[in-house]
Amino acid sequence: MAEKFDNLEEHLEKFVENIRQLGIIVSDFQPSSQTGLNQKLNFMISGLQDIEKCRQQLHDINVPLEVFEYIDQGRNPQLYTKECLERALAKNEQVKGKIDTLTKFKSLLISELGKVFPEEMAKYKAIHGEDPPS
Amino acid sequence: MTEMLSSLYGQPDSQGPAGPSALGCGSGKSRVTLSQNMGPMRFPHQMVDEGGPIRKPAAMNEPFYMLQELPMENELTGDTNLITHYNLEHAYNKFCGKKVKEKLSNFLPELPGMIDSPSIQDNSSMRSLIEKPPVCNNSFSPLSGAMLTGFRLHTGPLPEQYRLMHIQPQKKKNKHKHKHHRPQDPLPPETPSDSDHKKKKKKKDDDPDRKKKKKDKKKKKNRRSPDQPGMTGAQPSSSSLR
Repeated sequence: MAEKFDNLEEHLEKFVENIRQLGIIVSDFQPSSQTGLNQKLNFMISGLQDIEKCRQQLHDINVPLEVFEYIDQGRNPQLYTKECLERALAKNEQVKGKIDTLTKFKSLLISELGKVFPEEMAKYKAIHGEDPPS
Repeated sequence: MTEMLSSLYGQPDSQGPAGPSALGCGSGKSRVTLSQNMGPMRFPHQMVDEGGPIRKPAAMNEPFYMLQELPMENELTGDTNLITHYNLEHAYNKFCGKKVKEKLSNFLPELPGMIDSPSIQDNSSMRSLIEKPPVCNNSFSPLSGAMLTGFRLHTGPLPEQYRLMHIQPQKKKNKHKHKHHRPQDPLPPETPSDSDHKKKKKKKDDDPDRKKKKKDKKKKKNRRSPDQPGMTGAQPSSSSLR
């Protein structure tokens, strides 16, 4: 799994470096730089071909669209992962609180109903006694 | 009240089953139809077969009206710590335990260019790429000699408006040196054209301060020695040269 990412990362780094060198050549162009420029342009196309080949290995990888919003704003995409984990934990705690409260309420309700309606509650427990305890 | 009951039970040629307004009941589904020819009372939900028994056979004759089976239990609920369940403790400590830096350049330090600025400014957003993908061929073919003739460039440096593309923002290496001067001001990205203006501006800012200090010193000297010839106020000293 990590190998296909390493492969893609390597190709991307080479591509970016090629583009950077292309920018340096163009920033102060000289006639003798023409052959180098042509070579860099063809390297750029071969780099795109290599990246295209990596695509087949990564067809099962899904990226959430919200990450692209972070990148477009110039923010670290790891902040998205951090916020996802924090939200998941907060929601987990919230739901756990609800479950605990409802469990306490159920036990309290059953005990109080047992005091007020002892016969009916005995029948109720006899029926639900066949069910697995909740 | 007795009129209502008689209207329900005492009229075989009645208008039909009593409406909800007579009975004072709610919706039609839960309405109990009462007539003399009706058999033993049955509740509507008992008559409907919804795939499985709503009430258990053992409880059919019990006093419970709407006793249903308990729902199937899930092993995984919000009661368990889902982060430990899915073995995400390491990831949680990595991202939430330490401080994650805000800027994109901290995530990609080797990437050249101004990547921390919003991509909408230079129309290079990924969102626009997803919403409007560029129309192109399926294959990449190398450029032929004839195509490369279109890439013959003029000699000389680029115009100033295009020079910003390859310049990277300065990294805060000298932070400790500037602490005693301006610890809160971030170092803005400098360009070759802007750095010259800023240096000139700094010199200009320094010059009036120096001039003021010189003037103050002169005034103090004048106050200390008012008897000296040719040194009164702002008068030129040319009169003494006569």
